[in-house]
Amino acid sequence: MNNLIRLVLGMLSMAVFAALSLFLGGCGGASLPSSYAQVDAEPDIWPDYKGVTVPPNIAPLNFLVDSVDDVVAEFQTGDAKVQKVYGGDANKVQIDEREWREMLLSARGKSLSVTVYTKREGKWSAYRPFTIHVAEEEIDPYISYRVLPPTFVGFDELSICQRNLTSFEETTIYNNRLICDDLEGQCINCHSYQNYGTDNMMFHMRLEHAGTMIVSDGELIFVDLKTESMISAAAYNSWHPSLPVIAFSTDHTMQSFHTRDVTKVEVIESASDIVIYDVKKNRVQVVLCDSTEMELFPSWSPDGKWLYYCSAHYEYEGEYEDTSELLERYKTLQYRLYRLSFDAGSMTFGEPELVYDAVERNRSAVQPRVSQDGRYVLFAEGPWGLFHIWHPTADIQVLDMQTGQLLDTAPMNSARAESYPSFSSNDRWILFESRRDDGNYTRTYIAYFDAEGRLHKAFEVPAEDPEYFRLLLRSWSRPEFMKEPVRITPGQFLEKARTEPIKAEESSR
Amino acid sequence: MLIALWLAIFLLAKYAFRIADEWSFLLFIPLVALLCSDIQLGYWVYVLVDVDYLFYHPLGLLTALLISLPFWQLLPVKENVQQSVALAWIPLAAALFYYPFGIYALLASAIVAARLLARGPYFGLGALVTVLLTIWLIPLWETADSVLIRPDQSWMYGFRKFELDKLRDTSLEIPFYLVLILPVLFPFFGKLGTKKLLYSQGLMLVTAVVMYCCLQSRDFTDYNFHAEMRMQRGVEECRWGDVLSEAAKVTGPVTREMVMLRNIALINRGEFCSKCYAYNNESIQPAVVSDSIHIRICDQAADLIYYNFGETIFAIRRAIERCMHYGYSYYTLRMLAQCAIVNGETDNARKYLRLLSRTTFQRKWAEEILRVADDERLMLTDERFRMPLKLYNEGSELVGTDDKYVELTIMKKWMYTMTDDPEAQEVALGYAMIMRDRNCFWTQVQRHYNINPAAPFPTHVQEAMLFDVNELNMQGVNLSFVKFDERVLERYKAFTDRLKYYSSQGMNEKQIGRALRPEFGDTYMWDYCVLREIQTN
Repeated sequence: MNNLIRLVLGMLSMAVFAALSLFLGGCGGASLPSSYAQVDAEPDIWPDYKGVTVPPNIAPLNFLVDSVDDVVAEFQTGDAKVQKVYGGDANKVQIDEREWREMLLSARGKSLSVTVYTKREGKWSAYRPFTIHVAEEEIDPYISYRVLPPTFVGFDELSICQRNLTSFEETTIYNNRLICDDLEGQCINCHSYQNYGTDNMMFHMRLEHAGTMIVSDGELIFVDLKTESMISAAAYNSWHPSLPVIAFSTDHTMQSFHTRDVTKVEVIESASDIVIYDVKKNRVQVVLCDSTEMELFPSWSPDGKWLYYCSAHYEYEGEYEDTSELLERYKTLQYRLYRLSFDAGSMTFGEPELVYDAVERNRSAVQPRVSQDGRYVLFAEGPWGLFHIWHPTADIQVLDMQTGQLLDTAPMNSARAESYPSFSSNDRWILFESRRDDGNYTRTYIAYFDAEGRLHKAFEVPAEDPEYFRLLLRSWSRPEFMKEPVRITPGQFLEKARTEPIKAEESSR
Repeated sequence: MLIALWLAIFLLAKYAFRIADEWSFLLFIPLVALLCSDIQLGYWVYVLVDVDYLFYHPLGLLTALLISLPFWQLLPVKENVQQSVALAWIPLAAALFYYPFGIYALLASAIVAARLLARGPYFGLGALVTVLLTIWLIPLWETADSVLIRPDQSWMYGFRKFELDKLRDTSLEIPFYLVLILPVLFPFFGKLGTKKLLYSQGLMLVTAVVMYCCLQSRDFTDYNFHAEMRMQRGVEECRWGDVLSEAAKVTGPVTREMVMLRNIALINRGEFCSKCYAYNNESIQPAVVSDSIHIRICDQAADLIYYNFGETIFAIRRAIERCMHYGYSYYTLRMLAQCAIVNGETDNARKYLRLLSRTTFQRKWAEEILRVADDERLMLTDERFRMPLKLYNEGSELVGTDDKYVELTIMKKWMYTMTDDPEAQEVALGYAMIMRDRNCFWTQVQRHYNINPAAPFPTHVQEAMLFDVNELNMQGVNLSFVKFDERVLERYKAFTDRLKYYSSQGMNEKQIGRALRPEFGDTYMWDYCVLREIQTN
């Protein structure tokens, strides 16, 4: 028996020794090189955080430098009160989370200076310092997004995840692998929240166990929203900021593939309308159903008095919804931005009012979002169509409703596709998806939108391992801000999805 | 490597369970089952989600044997304490090793329980109850927070199900049942007597015969299946001569994928319109495995074929779809990297090359291709890129979909493609000829003449022109500008004479086809007259 005890004790001491070694090894810390050559240029770092403006509650901006043997970076606040050195472990600079938070606190409303030293073939070089500006305004702590391969048709690997922006914590809201493992799969999409909260939220399920998963005041409801007057089940959506009402577009969608153009895919709507759904009354009411207009992407203004949307005027020359005709004329499908006034008392809408004529500029504007003060409208603009993440020339635009002018969004855009923008709950941060990293995999970017209406250089959502997004063979698409995490577990969504969805009723109005 | 693994399993089992020499043959049964699981796959190999299929199961079995080694017997304590440790090890082993070994961790627990059971009823009964609870509860516990496994599939982690959509072929799972059940009996094999040679050798003979019969019946020996694979590798490595000699070796009807791969080789050698009928075009659908899977080109080699026809966007689409359905593989990453380079999406190519350069066996390839990504002029001389780039540049830009018909999509696109590049135009001319669309064909003939006024038309094009004008009465075509080869004229005349003769003898189409084949099976005319019901997939 004594031998057994000795054996167990021996194993325990080895484990403690190993843990201590790891801990001490991890605390080794980096130090600046004693001699180096000065380079009169800023370093090339990945992701590009040079000159960006970040919120004071963002996770550490870890980065790497390519083709070097070693790298260290010195972070310094403007008043030089805080000075930290990180790196010293191959080509990555990974910052201690606690120290980073302290640094941001000191630099709030000011900036951090970062000096990078790299080692190649035994020789160190020091680069010109670059700046990271730290804004006064915080960012909503959570985002959610779809994680999927850059696929086109199949849906057998798809999840909606949430990420804490103040740390690197990522959890799954729902994963379609929970319910099916065959080839057709289950498409899950269009997650959205009422006022950035998660007590009222929704997402759709398609194909297997089809329906719309709605969380209403924390309670799960599974609904089949397709009614007789709707073209299809509900699609793109927006929660009314105060009422239990969701606006949806309902559409027939198709996708076709280019043979040479690196745009690769065209997503085309052959018909679309807009409806609203009263969650409490389980009732659908048609809002717009003009057969010559393709109305899409409804979006409530934060005061709840306007419903913004985009629409393309299209008259079929031949048969209605003739897809071969659409394939020939898809470039003429360009969307303008409109809005309808909304009377919550009578649940009625006014006449369409043109907000922005993108067609005049030979462009197509989609996915409108309105700032909290109602002054700015944010949207994605591309050459034609609605799915701008596939259009390399697509950019994010901001319309100033007071002046009717577009703001200068060049600092936040890139030469590659940008799409699906949204404001943070304090309007100071713009979240959007971009393919600027490699042209193919969608990534999530954040840009600062200051109180003077200026847009700043965007930065990629930070990752614990700076190489994470470079190697990830999945896209992060359709990002949404949240003030809190989704508390309903994937298992609870699964359980609900296995039940028969409640059939929505049609309003007689 | 596989054989080494099997050998390790055999030796470990033999010594760990102290199985006598004359009963050792029983240990071969799970190994034969493993071999069977590999050779029975057939076309399932294209749709298996687990790229580690070949190694996962032998490694799983080896691990199960290692985990279940009776280390408790080495403890310097009384036997009942040792057995208590073994009892505790049953759930612990399953819990510790359920990831990544899944069902093999449960197997280890079952073997430990079997060991206890073999030693006596007191602990054996406890072991039985413990192992049943372990098998029931550990998978549930381990997968409770997983969002990647269906709750009803918790127990199946690590088990290979042959399931595709609504189809499930349980016959292909039999080897795995053997691999999972037999090792539980190993502790009892160790107890078999050592002096019943006649009995054991008789049983050995029966077992050997049964195993041999199993291997024979499960081996998927379809010639086209293996030839397709060799041709695919040939195309990937630009060994055009090998691809063509493989195509020439086939005696029976071929699959459409083989036709496509052969055409790729011919196009790269500039012989598409002069030799495409020299090979067998008589086609059949791919053979099926246990009547359970009907494979399509789309699932097999769509990306490879599209890429070689310069259809990189469709290649990317199919490669990504395949990754999602059946998992990423180095092969697909290579294909995606090549497509991205041809498309000019070099940042995207670098992503894939970065991943490949971190692997042991793909690093060299990635470094080679990175040089091409850095200097796109190298594409013009690199055989892997030269023709795909040319066809990508010369092919027309269309918007549409393939509806999973790879061959038809390529043929329909190319027959209408108008290009002045001689090599690309030959592809257009060839497919206009193969598709038997007379307007397209003559338009491409005119185009070919305009590009190469001094050069003779390729052999099959000459045959097609003669046949179309003389036999099919194509109006308004002046053939005086064509310099026909004497040999082509002679053979054409001989063919039509024989055709008329056989018709006058009252022979039907099939009989005429068979009679003409030895002499004219390599001509456009024979193909046109005989092969009428070719179905692509």
